[in-house]
Amino acid sequence: MTNALLFKEWKKTKWFAIGAFAVGLALLAYIFLKLGRSFRLVGLEHLWDVIVNRDQFLFRDLKYFPLATGFCLALAQFVPEMIQKRIKLSLHLPLPNKKIVFSMLGFGLLALTIIFVLHVAIVLAFAGIYFPKEIISSIIYTILPWYVAGITAYTFMSWICLEPTWKRRIFNALIMFGTLQLCFLTDFPGAYGLIILAVLLIPFYVLPFGYFSVQRLKVGIQD
Amino acid sequence: MQQAIVECKNLTHYYGKRCIYENLNFEIPQGRILGLLGKNGTGKTTTINILNGYLKPRSGECLMFGESSANLSPETKRKVGLLIEGHVQYSFMNISEIEKFYSAFYPNWRKEAYYELMKLLKIDPKQKISRMSCGQRSQVALGLILAQDPELLILDDFSMGLDPGYRMLFVDYLSEYAKAENKTVFVTSHIIQDMERLIDDCLIMDYGRIVMQKPVNELLESFKRYKFTCSNPGYIDEISDIYNPVTIKGNTEVYSLLGKTELQNLFAKYNVSASEILEENLSLEEAFIGLTGKY
Repeated sequence: MTNALLFKEWKKTKWFAIGAFAVGLALLAYIFLKLGRSFRLVGLEHLWDVIVNRDQFLFRDLKYFPLATGFCLALAQFVPEMIQKRIKLSLHLPLPNKKIVFSMLGFGLLALTIIFVLHVAIVLAFAGIYFPKEIISSIIYTILPWYVAGITAYTFMSWICLEPTWKRRIFNALIMFGTLQLCFLTDFPGAYGLIILAVLLIPFYVLPFGYFSVQRLKVGIQD
Repeated sequence: MQQAIVECKNLTHYYGKRCIYENLNFEIPQGRILGLLGKNGTGKTTTINILNGYLKPRSGECLMFGESSANLSPETKRKVGLLIEGHVQYSFMNISEIEKFYSAFYPNWRKEAYYELMKLLKIDPKQKISRMSCGQRSQVALGLILAQDPELLILDDFSMGLDPGYRMLFVDYLSEYAKAENKTVFVTSHIIQDMERLIDDCLIMDYGRIVMQKPVNELLESFKRYKFTCSNPGYIDEISDIYNPVTIKGNTEVYSLLGKTELQNLFAKYNVSASEILEENLSLEEAFIGLTGKY
C-alpha cells in the first residue's frame, strides 16, 4: 500500500523531478565552464589567491537553486491534491491519516534528497580535482545551508498548500520567509561551521506542520 | 427492520451564524438505496462531508458501521466507496494506472468489474483521466467503486455535469450492482428523475430540517396533489397537514398525504369552500416540489 502511495506521488512529480535534476546539471555545467574559463584566463594561482586571501566563493550561482527546487516540488505535489479537494480521496484510502500524510511528505523529502545529494556530489567531485580538503570542507559548510533551505522550503510550502484557509496560508508564508532567512544569513565561506547542526534540524521542526493543517481540513475549517 | 449501517444522531451544523440544520436524525438501513434530496444550500454536501469525516458538526454524532465518522479506522474506510462531487479522481493517472493504484488497497478488488465498464467507453487504456470528458470520468469513478466492492457506497451529486446518456448508464449500472450484491447506497443528486429510477428510500431536506424520510413507493402512493376552485383560500394556511398551497385566479393547488375524503372533511372543519377537487398522482420530482415548495 505504501508503494502504491509512493507511485501516486511519483506520477504527479515525475516530470518536475527529472526537470529539476536536468536544470541542476545545466547550472553545474555553466558553473564549471565559467570556472574552467577563469582557470585558463587568469590561472590557478590567481584563483587560489581569490579563494584563500579574499574569501571569495566560487559556487555562489548555486545559492537559490535548492530553494526554488523545494518550492516547486511542494507545489507540483500538493496543488493537484488541493484542487477540487482531491486530498479527500487520499485521506479515504484505507490507511491511518498520519501514515498517508507522512508518506506523501516522505516521498518529497526523499526525491529532494536524491536530487540534492547527486548535485552536491558532482560539485564536490569537481572541486576535489582542483582544491585541497580544507577548501572542500569550506565549500560544504557554505552550500549545505542552501540545500537545507531547499528542504525547509519544501516542508513549509507543503504546509502552506495543505492549509485550508487563505488567512492562515499567509501567516504560514510569513513564518516561512522568516525561517528561511536563517539559511541565508551570510555567504562568507564556512561561516555556518559552528551552527550547521542547528540549521540541519530546521526542516524536522517544520515537517509535522503539514499534518496539523490536514487535521484542520479534516474538521472542515475553510474560508 | 434491517440493521442500520449509518446512524446520524442530533446533528447540528452552522457555517458561521448560518444554521444549516439542527438536531438532524436519520439512519441508512443495510441493503437499501437511500437518496438525499434537497434544494441547493440545504446541506446535502454538508451531510456527506460529516458522514465521511471531512467536517466536524457543531454537535451530534454520526456512526458508520458503529464507528464515529470523525475517526474512521482503515478497516471501515475500506468498506466505504466514495464518489466525490464532480467525479473527482487522480486526473494525472491513466485508466490502467489508476486501477493498479487502487487495487493495492483493497484485497477483494474486482478488476473485471472496472474493465467491463471501461470497455463501454472505447478509449485507450493509456489515456489520461485529465483528457477525458466529464461523462467518461464519471464512469472511471464508478468503475473504481464497483471494483472496490464496498459494503456502503456514498455518492455525492453523481449526475453533476453528465449528459442524459451517461446519467442513464450510471444509474442502470449502479442500480443493477446494488440490487444484485445487496449493497447499501447513500446518494445525492439534483436531478430527481434519476433518483426515482434508482432509490428505494428518500430523505427530503428543506432549509434546516428533514421534511420526510420514506420508501419512495410509499411516498408516491400516499402523497397527492389536489387542484380545486376555492373562494376563501386564506383559511387553507391554517391546516397543518397541507403542504405548499398556491392559489392563482381562484384555482388552488395543494399537496397532502391525506386521501380525498379526509381532505374534504378537513376543509369542512376549517370552513374552506372547495369545489371540483381533482386528485393527481405525482412523480418523485413533483412530490419533492410539493414538499419543499417551488422557491
